[in-house]
Amino acid sequence: MKGYKKYFLNKLLWFVITLVAAVILNFILPRLMPGDPVAGIVARLAQGMSSSTGMKAVYEKYAELFGINKPLLTQFFLYVKNIFQGNFGSSFTQYPRPVLDIIKSSIWWTVCLQFPAIIVGWIIGNTLGAIAAYVKKGFDKVILPISILIGNLPAFGVAVILLVIFAVDLKWFPTSGGYGFDLIPTMSWQFVWSVIVHYQLPFWSIVLVAIGGQAIGMRSMSIYELNADYVKYARFMGIKDRKIVGYVFRNAMLPQVTGLALSIGTMVGGALVAEIIFSYPGLGYMLLQGILGQDYPLISAVTLIITLMVLIANFAIELIYGLIDPRIKAAQAE
Amino acid sequence: MSKVILEVNDLTTKYITRFHEDVYAVDHVSLKVEEGKSLGIAGESGCGKSTLALSLMGYYFPPLHFTSGEIIIDGQRITGMDPDTVRRTILGTEIAYIPQAAMNALNPTRKIINFIEDVILAHDPKVSRKDIYDLARERFEILGLPEDVLQKYPVELSGGMKQRTVIAVSVILAPKILIADEPSSALDVTSQKMVIKMLLDLMEKGMIKSMIFITHELPLLYNVTDDIMVMYAGQIVEKATAQEAVFDPLHPYSKGLMGSIIVPEKGLRNLKLSAIPGVPPNLKKPPTGCRFAERCKYVIPECKTHPIDLRETGEGRAYRCIFSEEYLRKVYQIG
Repeated sequence: MKGYKKYFLNKLLWFVITLVAAVILNFILPRLMPGDPVAGIVARLAQGMSSSTGMKAVYEKYAELFGINKPLLTQFFLYVKNIFQGNFGSSFTQYPRPVLDIIKSSIWWTVCLQFPAIIVGWIIGNTLGAIAAYVKKGFDKVILPISILIGNLPAFGVAVILLVIFAVDLKWFPTSGGYGFDLIPTMSWQFVWSVIVHYQLPFWSIVLVAIGGQAIGMRSMSIYELNADYVKYARFMGIKDRKIVGYVFRNAMLPQVTGLALSIGTMVGGALVAEIIFSYPGLGYMLLQGILGQDYPLISAVTLIITLMVLIANFAIELIYGLIDPRIKAAQAE
Repeated sequence: MSKVILEVNDLTTKYITRFHEDVYAVDHVSLKVEEGKSLGIAGESGCGKSTLALSLMGYYFPPLHFTSGEIIIDGQRITGMDPDTVRRTILGTEIAYIPQAAMNALNPTRKIINFIEDVILAHDPKVSRKDIYDLARERFEILGLPEDVLQKYPVELSGGMKQRTVIAVSVILAPKILIADEPSSALDVTSQKMVIKMLLDLMEKGMIKSMIFITHELPLLYNVTDDIMVMYAGQIVEKATAQEAVFDPLHPYSKGLMGSIIVPEKGLRNLKLSAIPGVPPNLKKPPTGCRFAERCKYVIPECKTHPIDLRETGEGRAYRCIFSEEYLRKVYQIG
């Protein structure tokens, strides 16, 4: 138990070191992009304005307001101080809307889109992979090539294919947005229905890609476990096939759990493609808007959320693994 | 003559390879094990001894297939029985198996006691967990295994302990015959000794009635089993008592096996170490004559053209060679 504790303290230390490094990068990288965010805002605000001194005044006012005229180091410490107070600053592009407010309104779209999609994709993929390994023959010959095809299609490819077929040609589903553009978010049936309809294409585009990858992994893990010595021994001790299949799939599932936790961790980053193609109002879409408008506070905040989620997911994997696999637990305690 | 526990008549089984070729790894094997007796099966790797062990279980799964012959356990003919019935009523309860790689024989994510529960419940779903635990604890105590092993995962046990645990689990349902496939080969000498002692204990304490012990070390069998059978290329080449097989082997292959291992036993200590050159024949296309002819020192042209039958010499002894007993003994003496 002592070794176990030590292992996790060590992991925690690395967690913190990685976090610090990530926060620094999250701050610096957006600010290294060429271009001047304030100039863009001023150009928008100063439409019709002809006096150059007036424009200069507006520019300096905003530069002061956003703090980008200060040295980078000062800005950084200000940024860190603000983070600890839960303040991510105001968005440049949607000024004066606070970044926190943007994130709050968009994160649920992402979580509600991604989380069920990842879980559904994971479950279907693993089930298909396990069945393919167990049944073999015809079923495997169909599932494997399809899985390889879908699993290797780029996410944007799947999304675009779905978009063209079901939204543009068949017109079954809308092409973009989280809900009808003519609706106001309320709890009306009309609005809920609109959300459900808009949900389908981005949802299935994520599910399909997940199924392919998971099915391939689960299939090969299951084949490996089905040929393990303990299967033969259990059979010769008279244990029923159903029970043995239970052993096999539980053991084959273990590496898949890592995949699940990781895809939940990279949820926001992973959502980017689907959200952008379907203009879904989630965090990924907001990140794209932020990058296009050089919205430093927004980019930093979103990337910080991504970093945190990945780190937490990794840490959770370590914890969960110790619980579900005695071999890992033994190795961790060493 | 005491009661026959295991009787095998003319058993042939084959592997069907991925390319649909038949490989007869067990070729017309007959054997008998009486109550209270143990039989050792020796041969080099690839000679079919592990396949014979699998074939004796009466339960086949691909790529191994039953071809012909019969297996009778304590008067009950198990060949031709429905596989599910074999599994429920024969495996584990009548005949049990200790695999070659006991290291990996236990499900790594299941505690030993849970696996024992699975084994017992597969045969009798009505037993309570408490009864199972009590039985397991009692058995472990008799066999000298610590009780806390029951609550452990296989990964927490040492190699020797794992092997002994597998043995204890194998005999939990008091099978009549135990088939141990190289139970000691992967272990260090100390653990080997413990495992063999444990197997002999099982016989002595009546937890099993008979045993088949498979190994590639023929001399090891001398101390362990009553009778010895030597296998080569899927066939029996010699059947004898342990004494005869070790000190007076007839078949040139048995003779070669004896010479290929350093033995610390008295009377065997001074044998010169020698190897049998060559490799066993490809069983996809077995030779028409003697299967050992290619590697035999004493080969004559007739060996390669005539199929050689297993010759009985009386008192249960048999060997598969073209030469007479007297001739063989004489050439061995000359060296």
